[in-house]
Amino acid sequence: MKIAVLLSAGRHPVSSTAVLPRLEAQAIRIATRLGAAFGVPDEAAAPFGLHAGPDAAAVADALGQGLGRLEHIALSEGADPVPALAARLAATAPDLILAGRRGQGGGESGIVPYALAAALDRPLIADVVAVAPGDEAGTLRLDQSLGRGALRRVVVRGPVLATVHPDAPAPLAYAFGRARRGTIVSLGPTADPGAGPVIPVEERPYRRRPKVVKGAPAGGSAAERLKAATGESGAASRGRLLVDPDPEEAAREILAYLRRIGVVAPPASHPHP
Amino acid sequence: MTSFMPLTTVFPGLVWTMAALALVQASRRASLWRVGAAAPVAWLHGLARLPRRYLVDVHHVVARDPHASRMHAVVAGGLLAASLLTALAILPPLAGSRAYWLLVTLAFAVTAAGSLLVGARRYPVKQKRLSAGRFQILPVLLLAYAVGGTLTALLLALGAGGIALPFALLAAAGGLGLAFEVRQGPMRHAVAGALHLAAHPRPGRFEGRPDTALQPLDLDAPRLGAAMPADFTWNRLLSYDACVSCGRCETACPAFAAGQPLNPKRLIQDLVAGLNPAEPPYAGTSYPGGRAAEGPRGPLARLIGPDARIHPDTLWSCTTCRACVEECPMMIEHVDAVVSLRRYQTLERGALPEKAIGPVTELRQAGDPGGRPLAARTDFAAGLDLPLMADRGQAQAEVDVLLWLGEGAYDLRYGRTLRALVRLLRRANVDFAVLGAEERDTGDLARRLGDEATFQALARENIATLARYRFARIVTGDPHALHALRNEYPAFGGHYTVVHHTALLLELIRAGQLSPQRLPDLSVTYHDPCYLARYNGETEAPRAVLDAIGLSRVEMARSGKRAMCCGGGGGAPVSDVPGERRIPDLRMAQATETGAGIVAVACPSCTAMLEGVTDRKADVRDVAELLLQAVEAGR
Ligand code: SF4
Ligand code: SF4
Repeated sequence: MKIAVLLSAGRHPVSSTAVLPRLEAQAIRIATRLGAAFGVPDEAAAPFGLHAGPDAAAVADALGQGLGRLEHIALSEGADPVPALAARLAATAPDLILAGRRGQGGGESGIVPYALAAALDRPLIADVVAVAPGDEAGTLRLDQSLGRGALRRVVVRGPVLATVHPDAPAPLAYAFGRARRGTIVSLGPTADPGAGPVIPVEERPYRRRPKVVKGAPAGGSAAERLKAATGESGAASRGRLLVDPDPEEAAREILAYLRRIGVVAPPASHPHP
Repeated sequence: MTSFMPLTTVFPGLVWTMAALALVQASRRASLWRVGAAAPVAWLHGLARLPRRYLVDVHHVVARDPHASRMHAVVAGGLLAASLLTALAILPPLAGSRAYWLLVTLAFAVTAAGSLLVGARRYPVKQKRLSAGRFQILPVLLLAYAVGGTLTALLLALGAGGIALPFALLAAAGGLGLAFEVRQGPMRHAVAGALHLAAHPRPGRFEGRPDTALQPLDLDAPRLGAAMPADFTWNRLLSYDACVSCGRCETACPAFAAGQPLNPKRLIQDLVAGLNPAEPPYAGTSYPGGRAAEGPRGPLARLIGPDARIHPDTLWSCTTCRACVEECPMMIEHVDAVVSLRRYQTLERGALPEKAIGPVTELRQAGDPGGRPLAARTDFAAGLDLPLMADRGQAQAEVDVLLWLGEGAYDLRYGRTLRALVRLLRRANVDFAVLGAEERDTGDLARRLGDEATFQALARENIATLARYRFARIVTGDPHALHALRNEYPAFGGHYTVVHHTALLLELIRAGQLSPQRLPDLSVTYHDPCYLARYNGETEAPRAVLDAIGLSRVEMARSGKRAMCCGGGGGAPVSDVPGERRIPDLRMAQATETGAGIVAVACPSCTAMLEGVTDRKADVRDVAELLLQAVEAGR
C-alpha cells in the first residue's frame, strides 16, 4: 500500500504565518493510520508527502506531523504544479493519493486534486473523513462526509485520489524531534511547467460572517430566532421526553428513533432461516 | 572470639564492619547512578554547605510535622553519635575508660528511645501516608541495634564485659541489618539524601532564591527529554533514591486528592524501580484508579506508556503546582522529572494528550493557544484608553510600566479584572502602555506540556519585541506570565524587572497614589496562585492590599507557600485527564469552609478555574477588583 499526501504552502487563517494547512495535516493522520493498518514493511513504503513549489521549507512541518519523508519538486514561483505532480505521481504510482479539499493560502484555487485526477485518469472521492482497508483484498473503504455528520461509505478498487473533509480526525501533534529526523528528497523539475492558470483574485481580510439559518423567521422575538437557530422547532422539538424510564422502554424508544431517522435498518419482517 | 580478643575491641570493630558494609552497599547503588547523563556539580561548595543545607533547609520542611521532626532528631542523632563514639573506642585509651562507655551507653539509650518513636508511627497501625514493605522492619532493626548497644556498653561501663556477648550479638544483628539496608532499603535515604543535598541540581534553593525556572533544553541534543532512566542526569537518579517514602508529597498533591491517576510518591518510586530491576515491590498507596502494569525495568527501559511503569495519564495529570516539591523533606524535584518525561513524549513522539494538541498547535502557529487574532487581545478594554507602546515612539522617554496582558485578556470574565487594573493605574497616574498586537503568548503552556521548541520560539520573538522598547519594568496580573518573563526568559537573553500587579498596587497605596476606603463588611479568604507563592515566594503583597482596604480576612487551612492548587496550571485543564473529583471543586470547598463570602484571587487561571465551580457559595474576585471597589467607594 503506497500512500502519497499532497502538501501545499498554506497560511494560518488568523495569523497568516506559513503553516501546513489543517486539512493536509488531517490527511497525514488518515495516511499514517491506514499505513499502520496495512503494516509498513520499510521506510520507503511508508506514506510520504509530495510538494511542488519554490521552497520545501514551506511544508517541512509535515515531517513533524507524522510523515517520515517528503518529496519536493522545485518550481519557480507561480509555475503550474499540476504537470510536475502528475508526472511524479505517474512514476511512483501510489495506491492512494490524499489531498485537502481546498487550499489555505496564497493563490490556491483548490482545483489541483481535480486536475491531477483527470491527468492521471483516476477516480476522485471528495470529502473523505476516514479510509480503511476494504474487506476484499485490493479495495479501500472510504467514508465520505455529506455534511452535518451524515456519511456515505464507498468501497473502491484500484488507485484512487481522495480529498479530505474538515470533519476527519484532528491532526496529530507536531513533534519537533520527528521533524528533525525526517528527510526531504529534492527532485528536479520533471516536465517543463507552463505558467499556472491565472485566476483573478481579490484579497480581503478575513471576517467572521453571521451564519444564515435556513427557514429562520425574518422577524419574531429573539427567543424565537434562537429556537430556530438551535433547531428546537425542528427535529429536536419532535422528540418525546421520558422521565426516569425503565431501561427496556428507553432502549426501545432509542431504537425506534434510530429507525425513524434511518440509521438502523427496519426490523426484518420475517426471521431469517 | 572473646577468648583472644576483648569485647572492647570487638564491639567497636562491629561498628567499623557496619561502616564497611554500608560503604559496599552504597557503592553498589552508586554504580546505578553512573548510568545517568553527566551533570555539572560544584562538589566542594556542595559538601561545604551540606551541614547548613541539612540543618536549615531540610529542617525547615521536616519541622512542619513536629512529631516526625522530633522522632528524626532523636533517632538519627542518637544513631550517629552512638556509632561514632563506639567506633572511636577502637583507640585503647578510650576502650579502657569506663566513663567513656557510660557516655556510649547514654547515646545508645537515646537511639533506643528514638527507635520507639519510629515504631510508634508504624505499630500497631501504620500512618496512612507511609509505605510498608521494608520500612516496617526498620524500627525492629533500630531497636535491636540500640538496645543491644545500650546493654553492651552499660556492661562494659560496669566492668562486666564478660557476660555482654549476647547483647553484642543483638547489636550486631540490628547494626549489620541497618547497614545492609543502605542499598535498597529504608537506610538508603541517609546516604543518597546526604549526597543529594551536596549535589542538588538546583543549588539556588539553598541560597534563598526560589530556584524554580525550568532548565532550558538544548534542542540540538541527540535525544530530547527523558524516555528511560538513563536519560536523567546522574544526580537526578541519585535524588530519586533519596526518597524515604514519607508520603508528604502524596498528601499535598491536588491531582491525587482529585482521584486522578497521579501520586508523586509512587511516581518517584517508579523512577527508582525503573532504574533498579532488583528493587523490592512498592508498598505504599498507588496511583488512584488502581493500575497494575509493571512494565520493563532497567536503565534502558521505557518508562512511559499504557503498558509501562508510568501511564501517560499519570504524566499529564500534573498541574506543575510544586506542592510536592515544597513538602518533600528530601528536596526532590518532582516537577522537573515530570517535565523531562513530558518533553520526550511531546518532542520526540508527538504524544500530547489528544485535547492538548489543538491549543499547542495554535500556540505554535498563531502565538495564542486559542488561535485568536493578537490584535483582539485589547478588545477587553473597549472604551478605556489603552496606550500602545508602538504609539510612544522610540525617541520618547521610557515608560514606567509595560503592562503585560497575557492570555486572560481574551477571557470575558478576566477582562473585568484587567479593566479594574487599568482604571486603577489611570487613577494613580501611572505611566503605562501595552504591546497590543505585538504581545505573543509567553509560551508557558507549551513549556509545561513539554513543547520546549514552541516555548523557545515564542520566548525569542517576545524578547525581540521587548528589545525595541524602553520601559522600567513589566507589570502583569498573570503569575504564569510573570514566572516565564522573570525567571525563564533570562536564559534566552531577556532580563527584565517583572512585578505582579498586587505588588504594584501595594506600592501605589503605600505611596499615597491610591487612597482606598475601607470595606469592613466584606469577608475574604485569599487563594495563593502556585506560580506566585511557590514559584516566586510572593505571598505578602496581596494580603497587604486586602488588609489596606480593611476587609476581614481569614486564611484557609492551606495557604501561602503551602496552598493547594486550583487545578489550572501545567496544561492540566487542556489535558483534562479524568478523575473522581475536580481540583477546583476541592479548593472551593476549602474556601467555603472559612465562611468567607469572597475568594480573593490574583491569577487569570485561578479566576477561571474557581469561577467554573458549580453551586459556588462564595464570589470570586481579583484583588484588583476589590481594590477598585474600595477606591471608588471614596467618591
Ligand atoms: S518524594 Fe519526598 S515527600 Fe514524597 S515520599 Fe519521597 S521523600 Fe517523601
Ligand atoms: S506538582 Fe502538584 S500536581 Fe504535580 S505531582 Fe506535584 S503536587 Fe501533584
